Amino acid sequence: MFLSIKDLKKSFGEDEYKTEVLKGIDFEIEKGEICVLLGPSGSGKSTLLNIIGGIDQPDSGTIMIQGKTISTLKEKDLTNYRRKHLGYVFQMYNLISHLNVEQNIDVGKYLSKNPLDKEELLQTLGLKEHRYKQPNQLSGGQQQRTSIGRAIIKNPDLLLCDEPTGALDYHTSKDILQLIEDVNKKYGNTIIIVTHNDAIKDMADRVIYLHDGRIRENIKNTHKIPAKDLNW
Amino acid sequence: MKNPLFKRLPYILKDEIAKYLIIFLFMAGSIGLISGFLVADGSMIKAYNDSFDKYNIEDGHFRLNDSLSKENKKALEKEGVTIYDLNYIEEEVESTSTIRLFKPRNKVNQVCIMEGKLPQSKNEIAIDRMYADNNNYQVGQTIKVGKKKLKITGLVALSDYSALFSKNSDLMFDSVKFGVGIISKEEFKSFKDAKIYYNYAWTYNEVVDNEVNASNDFLNVLVRNVSGIDDYIPQYANQAIHFTGDDMGGDEAMMTVLLYIIIGILAFVFAITTKNTIESEAPMIGTLRAMGYTKKEMLIQYMTLPILVSLVACIVGNILGYTYFKDVMAGMYYGSYSLPTYVTIWSGDAFIKTTIIPFIMMVLINYGILMKSLKLSPLKFMKRDIKKVKKNKKTLVLHRLGFFSQFRLSVILNNLSGYITLFVGVLFAIILLMFGMDMHPVLDHYQDIVVNNMTAKYQYILNTPESVDTTAIEQVFQTIPQEFRDSFLSLIDDQYDEMYDNYKTKTKGAEAFSLYSLKTLPESTIEEDISLYGLQNNSQYIHIKSLPKKGVYISKDVADKYNLKKGDRISLKESYKDLRYTFEIKGIYDAPGSMALYMSKSYFNEVFNCQDGYFNGYFSNKKITDLKDDYIASTITQDDLTKVSRQLNVSMGEMFYLVEGFAIVMFIMLIYLLTKMIIENNKVSISMVKILGYTSKEIQKMYVHATTIVILISTLLSFGITTWILSYAFKIVFEEYAGWLPFYVEGSVYIKMFIMTIISYLFVMMIQMRKIKKIPMDEALKNVE
Repeated sequence: MFLSIKDLKKSFGEDEYKTEVLKGIDFEIEKGEICVLLGPSGSGKSTLLNIIGGIDQPDSGTIMIQGKTISTLKEKDLTNYRRKHLGYVFQMYNLISHLNVEQNIDVGKYLSKNPLDKEELLQTLGLKEHRYKQPNQLSGGQQQRTSIGRAIIKNPDLLLCDEPTGALDYHTSKDILQLIEDVNKKYGNTIIIVTHNDAIKDMADRVIYLHDGRIRENIKNTHKIPAKDLNW
Repeated sequence: MKNPLFKRLPYILKDEIAKYLIIFLFMAGSIGLISGFLVADGSMIKAYNDSFDKYNIEDGHFRLNDSLSKENKKALEKEGVTIYDLNYIEEEVESTSTIRLFKPRNKVNQVCIMEGKLPQSKNEIAIDRMYADNNNYQVGQTIKVGKKKLKITGLVALSDYSALFSKNSDLMFDSVKFGVGIISKEEFKSFKDAKIYYNYAWTYNEVVDNEVNASNDFLNVLVRNVSGIDDYIPQYANQAIHFTGDDMGGDEAMMTVLLYIIIGILAFVFAITTKNTIESEAPMIGTLRAMGYTKKEMLIQYMTLPILVSLVACIVGNILGYTYFKDVMAGMYYGSYSLPTYVTIWSGDAFIKTTIIPFIMMVLINYGILMKSLKLSPLKFMKRDIKKVKKNKKTLVLHRLGFFSQFRLSVILNNLSGYITLFVGVLFAIILLMFGMDMHPVLDHYQDIVVNNMTAKYQYILNTPESVDTTAIEQVFQTIPQEFRDSFLSLIDDQYDEMYDNYKTKTKGAEAFSLYSLKTLPESTIEEDISLYGLQNNSQYIHIKSLPKKGVYISKDVADKYNLKKGDRISLKESYKDLRYTFEIKGIYDAPGSMALYMSKSYFNEVFNCQDGYFNGYFSNKKITDLKDDYIASTITQDDLTKVSRQLNVSMGEMFYLVEGFAIVMFIMLIYLLTKMIIENNKVSISMVKILGYTSKEIQKMYVHATTIVILISTLLSFGITTWILSYAFKIVFEEYAGWLPFYVEGSVYIKMFIMTIISYLFVMMIQMRKIKKIPMDEALKNVE
């Protein structure tokens, strides 16, 4: 099993202000799967993704990735874990100003000892002709493509996408989802996508519904639809 | 692969060029100034110290009433010394000043030629360089010396006159009214009417261990072999030689501390503004940290530019220090002292103090502040959850305040670290500004109080023979048969009277006093001369109602400087003997400019074992004309008492203006950088309130007025704190120096400072208002997540 989560709990605040966000989460993901985490606002999906990504700590429970427990790692080891194994894509692209598309992708490449071929990736991302453009010269979709490129160039074992289409229009969102799908097919990375868009579940191998800090459903999707055919 | 994040640095440098340029210029300027000072100071101290050997400076000199005969010279030289003829004459120059003229001296107290050459023939003269500067005399010019016209062939420094003291007993030298010069032997002879001062220098043939003992021994030899000794000054007691060296050594620590304060403030400004950049780039930092970039890698990113700018500033500062500022600073010393030429000495110590330590300070302060800022988790950065405000903390709402006041309060509270740095910076700038602006008033005030409270228009110090050894008289007295003892005593009294009669004046109002000088104890501060006056009861000049039979009054300056009050005891010691005196303080007498103790004549005679009737000085409001010149050791007039402030104004006046200018630049720079930072910090909010429809005037009320309030409060608070700091600093500084200069702030200085700070602030605000106007409304929309 690639990813295994057991009885994961997380709360925020103290005393009377304490809010339990994750109330005991258990699930597993196999290598190379696309997993979509669905749920309404406040259901705990982003918190779960942040804990998997090692940028937040659980109160209790364990997370194992490729047999290694990461929930007990110290800060330095967590950074190292993210550096070696993870790619992150956020709703806000957070590209680095003053660096062009190619240089922004280099920011991810620098972290890897075994990066993907940049030229090929630029081709896949559809950014070859925009490679020298600054972030402020790009459309939202192009910026998100660049941030995906920055995340996957280091060839991460696990790609975490937090609302990757949250700030994009319908067509661009579909382009981005298609790109994520292509990346998964081409490079075989395990991908977790957090979204509140129900339609996206159809492109996933696994769909996990979160509600009020618990898993309501964990479905293995046997009828995957290509991202280009999604509709909402 | 090189970290690609470094590629953004040149763009950041370009975007923030104003900030980096200002800090660079200020840092390079400060380092340049101080390293220039330390290099000049070190090189000149070296040149000064070397001059003792290089120019064979005398071990002392004595003056006789007549020429020293060959036989006497031989007799003296038999005792292990070499005697040199240093006879001189004194003439008026252009009827405005006095010049002391020597023949060329090749063996002792040699001459350093600063410009031109020594006189080769008649009608030529070389004069002291500083005296020439102060009187606007140049090489090639002809000046009237006495009745003659002499052409200046060169400007020189006489190694035994680095400070132009005309008399060793003077409180301060006067390089405007007194100078020294060299004329040829023929020219010297041609001044037939001039009085020749038979002055001779000596050097010891062997190195001496104890100068004081060696000098005392030589004095005995001198007294035994020659008569008519008019003056005797061993080198260690010669102010014209030693004053310069003593003064030059003291400035280094002060200048170094000044540099560290400036660098500390600059480092804080750098760190606070960079911290602000970190806050504005928080989501990007969060993303990079989430990707796996380490804290160290992020720290290096944000520290690179400050460190690079500091490094270049250190290098440029040092180059400026060693080239331009060294000469400026040396010029300041040359403006005060007649120093010989110097060779720039590479000073490792100056390099460490002005380059290594400031650089390390810069790195450490930035490291400390930025590391703390980068400690947050990637998630907090991404959520911009960077202010350490406890969640659920109740917001401070002051209902009595209006909307704008509440808004301004929140702006101040949200930018507290920036405003605290601003306050510290304003305080430091005000300290420098007040120092620069108030020094002239302090000196003028000192001059005024000294002049207005002068004990007497003239104070004459006489060469009265020291009291006869009473023990010897006592012994003789014991051997005399009883019947002759009265006659013996009467004879002794007559002898005294006769002796003192020569020193008596008929000048109306003249009042005799006894004066003795002791030194403060080394454990108190430095060894400082304190004058002890023995006064007649109901003195017309020192208005102490009834002098105590035992015990002393102390001058207010002594009381202030040494924290003494009535009922305390003061201990003093003899200059060159291990003999101490302790006096009970019966009261304090306000005599500005005097470091003195006052006691009754009877108590004075008792303490110092003097005969009744002994005196060695006069207070007088009229010039005393009926005493032989030879009997008067020195005269203290208004000019003498104000020499200190006059000379300080001449030699340090330029520095006060320099400090003043520096303070204003620093003030403007700090306000500019920190207000810029505060505006940038609130860019999104400003943009948002623009969208909401607030006018420029209203935005100004919200953001700019918050800064105005902080500046006003900081400035006013700084006035109070600065006054306290400077008066305390004056006390500390003058503990290291002889004399006492009370701190005083002229009311107009506060007004001038306030106007200057407000004008500087308005100037900066005009620039910042333009910036606020330029903030686009979509700034807020771009950043909304």
